[in-house]
Amino acid sequence: MNLLDDWTASWLLWFPGSVSTFGAGQHDPAVLPFRLDAGRRAAVHVLLIEDDPSIADMYRMQLEHDGYRVSVASTGEVGFASVSGDGPDIVLLDLLLPDRSGFEVLRQINERLPGHPPVVILSNYGEPSMLDRGRSLGAVEYLVKSRVTPADVSGLIPSWIEQSRTEEHEDS
Amino acid sequence: MNLAATLVLDVTAAGFVALALAIAYRWYRDRGHAQGLLAISLIALGIVAALGRFQDQTHPNVVLSLVTIVAFIASAYLVLLFGNEFIPLGRRVRLAADVLLGVSILSSIVLVTVFQRGPQPVMTALGFEIVGAWAILIGLPIVRFWLASNSLPSVPKARLRFLSFGFAVLIAILVVDVVGGSALQSPGAIIITQLLALATVPLIYVSFAPPAILRRIWRMSEEKNVRAAMQDLLIFSPTRELMAERAVYWAVRLMGATAGFIVDADGKVMATSGIDAVEAAELRSSAGANPTGAAGSIVKAPLHLTEGEGSLAIIAGRFTPVFGTDEITQLNAYAVSVSAGLQRAAVTERMTALEKGKTQFLNLASHELRAPLTVIRGYVSMLKNGLFGDLNDRGHKASDVMEAKVSEMNELIEEMMDAARVEEGGLTLRLIECDLRDIVREAVDAASPQLDASHRIALDLPDRRIRVKVDPDRTRTIVTNLLTNALKYSPAGGEVRCQVRSSRSGVARVSVSDEGLGIARDDMATLFTRFGRIITPETEHLRGTGLVLFLSRQLARLQGGEIAVVSTPGAGSTFTLQLPVAGVAGPPLGTDRDGEWTTPHEDAVGDQRSAPMRR
Repeated sequence: MNLLDDWTASWLLWFPGSVSTFGAGQHDPAVLPFRLDAGRRAAVHVLLIEDDPSIADMYRMQLEHDGYRVSVASTGEVGFASVSGDGPDIVLLDLLLPDRSGFEVLRQINERLPGHPPVVILSNYGEPSMLDRGRSLGAVEYLVKSRVTPADVSGLIPSWIEQSRTEEHEDS
Repeated sequence: MNLAATLVLDVTAAGFVALALAIAYRWYRDRGHAQGLLAISLIALGIVAALGRFQDQTHPNVVLSLVTIVAFIASAYLVLLFGNEFIPLGRRVRLAADVLLGVSILSSIVLVTVFQRGPQPVMTALGFEIVGAWAILIGLPIVRFWLASNSLPSVPKARLRFLSFGFAVLIAILVVDVVGGSALQSPGAIIITQLLALATVPLIYVSFAPPAILRRIWRMSEEKNVRAAMQDLLIFSPTRELMAERAVYWAVRLMGATAGFIVDADGKVMATSGIDAVEAAELRSSAGANPTGAAGSIVKAPLHLTEGEGSLAIIAGRFTPVFGTDEITQLNAYAVSVSAGLQRAAVTERMTALEKGKTQFLNLASHELRAPLTVIRGYVSMLKNGLFGDLNDRGHKASDVMEAKVSEMNELIEEMMDAARVEEGGLTLRLIECDLRDIVREAVDAASPQLDASHRIALDLPDRRIRVKVDPDRTRTIVTNLLTNALKYSPAGGEVRCQVRSSRSGVARVSVSDEGLGIARDDMATLFTRFGRIITPETEHLRGTGLVLFLSRQLARLQGGEIAVVSTPGAGSTFTLQLPVAGVAGPPLGTDRDGEWTTPHEDAVGDQRSAPMRR
């Protein structure tokens, strides 16, 4: 059964302000990154759409350490292709990409891939208008990169996935 | 003809001769001026008037008659030519006028040579022709003057109207005289028409050479406009160029000039009115001389600018008066205001550019700093978490310090970005109704990590909730800032008291008191300014951007609140955040922002004197 189909386009929104409970210890990274459904222990697949290699490498290091499978796309176009082709479980999306803005990528994902995996925006822009735009485009979370560590993000991934699944169940 | 009529005829003739002499004299003095044609015309008219009185009515002298009639026609033709100087006639009209002149001269020769010998109807027709030609030749330019005057500044307008009116009266008298014929030869009629003709003498003279007092009166209506425009000019002109454009426009209008220009301190033509920049550049170096070849004069007033001396010049045109001392004084006074205005515009321009640059720099620097900081912060945390292997004790210590410093830097960047946003007006708040006590509790939690053994925070909350409509995150930031500041500036330790209260008048207050260094009276002014850190021997080792209080107050104000301070040097300070209580239409907080603001007594702590605070 393809998990992608189970996702719906509506997500519970979780935004800064409510994120006062950061900490890697909150979720057990050794257990949660593994999908237990269907009896297979497949690593959760994180797609990182990020053009800055130093940031991408750093996140890959942390996420792989925590047991995730990580793929990195350095442009919006490759990113979109990976979302539709590789079927990641969650997408971490940068906004400043060499070929287009992350918002455009997100809009494209919304339009062409109904039931796509949850998308979390990771950006260096923290303007309220940007947050609003991210929210209106259905991002599960909008984080300012300099305010969080890879461990924070890694620790939150299971809850984002959980959250979108709960949404989906409530919907159906 | 009785004596009275003769006397009036003599006086009128003398009036026109005097007009001719006065104008000849003025013209002699200002030969460069373009009014030569008009002057000759009026001199010709004076000759007509004089010769008319010397002519023997019963046995006229042929030569004298001829000269009189030709001078008479010439006076009209010259007025036409004068009009042509600044409102050019069409080619056909000009040709028709020339033909009319030729026919009239021919008629006059015929009239004089066959005088009293030709048949009466022919003589009358020739007389009619001459007077008609005169009326047409003069009527054409004066109608055009009158029409053109509508769009002119008040001085040339009044002058053209006086000229038109004066000549119109002369035409009317002549036409009535000719049409009325012998019916108007009674002494009474002669007296009336001659007195009317005499009345045109001052009208015409004034239009030719208006006295200063009249020029000032004419200018008055213009000055009213100028005064109204002056405020606009000096206060609201956003750029120097725009300011100069307006200034030269009004200078030209006010002085009744035809053109003008302003030269900057570097010699560049900054603004022109009535001429183009190239012409102005040619005129720039010449002063007083008549540059265009046409009559006119230039008056220059110096503009004292910081970069050097510029000038404001106005140019007299073909029908503007030669500028007198009155105009020069006026222009100099006007130039002083213009100089001040240009200076102010320059300063404003520079300030705006600086301010914008600073904000842009802050914004850019902050964004650009975030990216590398993200990586440093991430790797430090990974290092600390043992992702790259276990650290020894010293390594742990080092990574702890690095982590602390990185988050310190992060906070500074956030502050800088917020400050830049506050100044751009780009900071948006999410106002939610909440309990102020919760916000303060969270703020105390956030400030607690900075506590050391010597400090203590005493929190004093009321039992009842205090409802405020604020941005909770921003408000928490303000209170945290006040707490951290209190800790930072009480190096000897001690208690930091945080008290929350609300008054019945609808004002909620969070006051944070310390027992620290306090703030000297003189330093109060810089306390809340951007980057306004107070550096004293006790505080110079402390780090900070000086943005915290600036930002806190801006944030408070954006939420309808205010931050005030009372302090006694050496004994401590109390910072009070005031916020409007939700749902209570309380009085406006503080006073107006530029006024003096004193903390209400209920907030004063102990025996500390209340320090008035100015922005």
